[in-house]
Amino acid sequence: MSLIEGLRLALESLWVNKMRSSLTILGVVIGIAAVITVVAVGQGGQAVLMAELQKIGTNIFAIYVNWQEGEPLGKHDFTFQDIAVIKELVPEITYLAPTYYIPAVARGPKDKKPAQVIGTEADYAQVANVKVVRGRFLSQGTGTTRAVAVLDQALAGEIFGRLDPVGKRVTINNRPAQVIGLTKEESGFLGIQTSKRIYVPLNFAQDISGQRLIQQLEGMAANQEKISAAMAKAVKVLERRHNAKDRYKAISLEEQMKIAGKITGIITLIIGAVAGISLLVGGIGVMNIMLVSVTERTREIGIRLALGARRKDVLKQFLIEAVVLCLAGGLLGVVIGAGGSMLVARLAKWPPLISFGTVLIAFAFSVAIGIFFGLYPAGRAAKMNPIEALRQE
Amino acid sequence: MITVKQLTKVYQSGKISFPALKEVSVAIEKGEFVAVMGPSGSGKSTFLNVLGCLDRPTSGSYFLENSEVSLLNEDELARVRNQKIGFVFQTFNLLPRLNILRNVELPMIYAGAPAKERRQRAQEVLNQVGLLEWAGHRPPEISGGERQRVAIARALVNQPAVILADEPTGNLDSHASTEVMTIFKKLHRQGTTIVLVTHEQEIAAYARRILFFRDGQLIKEEITSVPPEVNNQ
Repeated sequence: MSLIEGLRLALESLWVNKMRSSLTILGVVIGIAAVITVVAVGQGGQAVLMAELQKIGTNIFAIYVNWQEGEPLGKHDFTFQDIAVIKELVPEITYLAPTYYIPAVARGPKDKKPAQVIGTEADYAQVANVKVVRGRFLSQGTGTTRAVAVLDQALAGEIFGRLDPVGKRVTINNRPAQVIGLTKEESGFLGIQTSKRIYVPLNFAQDISGQRLIQQLEGMAANQEKISAAMAKAVKVLERRHNAKDRYKAISLEEQMKIAGKITGIITLIIGAVAGISLLVGGIGVMNIMLVSVTERTREIGIRLALGARRKDVLKQFLIEAVVLCLAGGLLGVVIGAGGSMLVARLAKWPPLISFGTVLIAFAFSVAIGIFFGLYPAGRAAKMNPIEALRQE
Repeated sequence: MITVKQLTKVYQSGKISFPALKEVSVAIEKGEFVAVMGPSGSGKSTFLNVLGCLDRPTSGSYFLENSEVSLLNEDELARVRNQKIGFVFQTFNLLPRLNILRNVELPMIYAGAPAKERRQRAQEVLNQVGLLEWAGHRPPEISGGERQRVAIARALVNQPAVILADEPTGNLDSHASTEVMTIFKKLHRQGTTIVLVTHEQEIAAYARRILFFRDGQLIKEEITSVPPEVNNQ
């Protein structure tokens, strides 16, 4: 019996029990769809992460104090002199800015809104790729406590309405400041909307919070090749100046992204595994129905054996039926999974990534499930005694 | 053509063994029309199952067209059933979900015949039993007598050495029985070897020789006188 003939026999049998066949494949459909969706969304997220990295730059880094338990807080805090010395001694670093992040409320003549205040100085515009659309950004003077602020354009629109904010007063946590510039609206990271930003001089930020603190240093190396050297040298300078070992840590944005990527990868794997279990359950469903089908068709099997079917012909027939069922489930699952990941991607605002490899693996998996779960029922069919099978009503 | 010697079949069920056939020896020539008669439990169905290679004898030998069938393996037996034997059952045993043409084609599918040849040959034998116009219908749409004629067409499709019929008229009324038996008679005239199991005297009368079974043994053989109403048709 040829494969085509076997396929035809299988389709004939499955077509007779349309309702049962479609219910049987449902488990496989759901399983494959779930796996496809999870993997596509996960891979899409990963791709966005990498694209984002390329956009922001692979030569950005941050240095933070590696505070040890038991040490008094602030013992190894950064100083403005640290920045000046690092810039002087480390030629690989092109820009370096101190930063202090404070969640705050910004009030304008029209409205008040929560905002992310970033205390820093001029270099930050280069490091974080901030685009000024009106007025100017902060100046490089670090000692100044001038109460000025640069607002995100969207935030300015929300709290000032149609007024031109430049030159006007904004209140940040009840402290007045003069607006000196507007920046291009931030799209947020990975499409997640973050609080709108207000940039102020570092000293002014310290005044707002009431703490003399520089949270971290953020810098830009001349290029990607020089970033490791830049970070190592900067840390060395800090250690010498503060006479402290292992108290400063530098991490590049790329490393941070890679960690984030690893985490999303692990999450994808876990959810994918859970989805895989539903696929397993689907496979068991197929086996169950195939066993019922074999029992119901005992007489048919007897007839076929009497007419000259070999045991392997019967085995092949039932095995092909199971594989066709699972493959049909896989096909439908891929279609639904593709639709599902498109939907999720739209909601999460990142492009889905349905790779050819994923689809291929899904199909291979369906066939494997069909063979694995079809083998036992088909084996039972093939082992039947023709005389007893023919006697069956 | 068919030679069985000392054919014995013992069914074993736990510790109880039941001899269904006891040392049956008989020879059937090519072109013969033989009826097998006997009460139920006489071993006539077992005899037919062994002849049809659905069952293996416990001992004894069975030669079909000069080859020793009891020595063949399972796949080879399947091939013998497919190529040399045409079954006709009391309950027709057509596949209700396939149309009549596909039912008739079935043995040729297992013979590996190409689709075109299959269709041609199936139509030919359907025409022979007068049911060609029903080719596209399914078995449940036709009468019992017609179904049995389809089964005969299916038995003929691979041009077997022998047709084995197990109570082929057992489920039919007398009119349909006559129709079916007329076909068997015609086939016999054309030279087909037929072995037919029945417990009805009138059906057995179509055969040229009758084998009587009782308690698993062949107890009597009888050459039939040619009944005039059968012969003159």
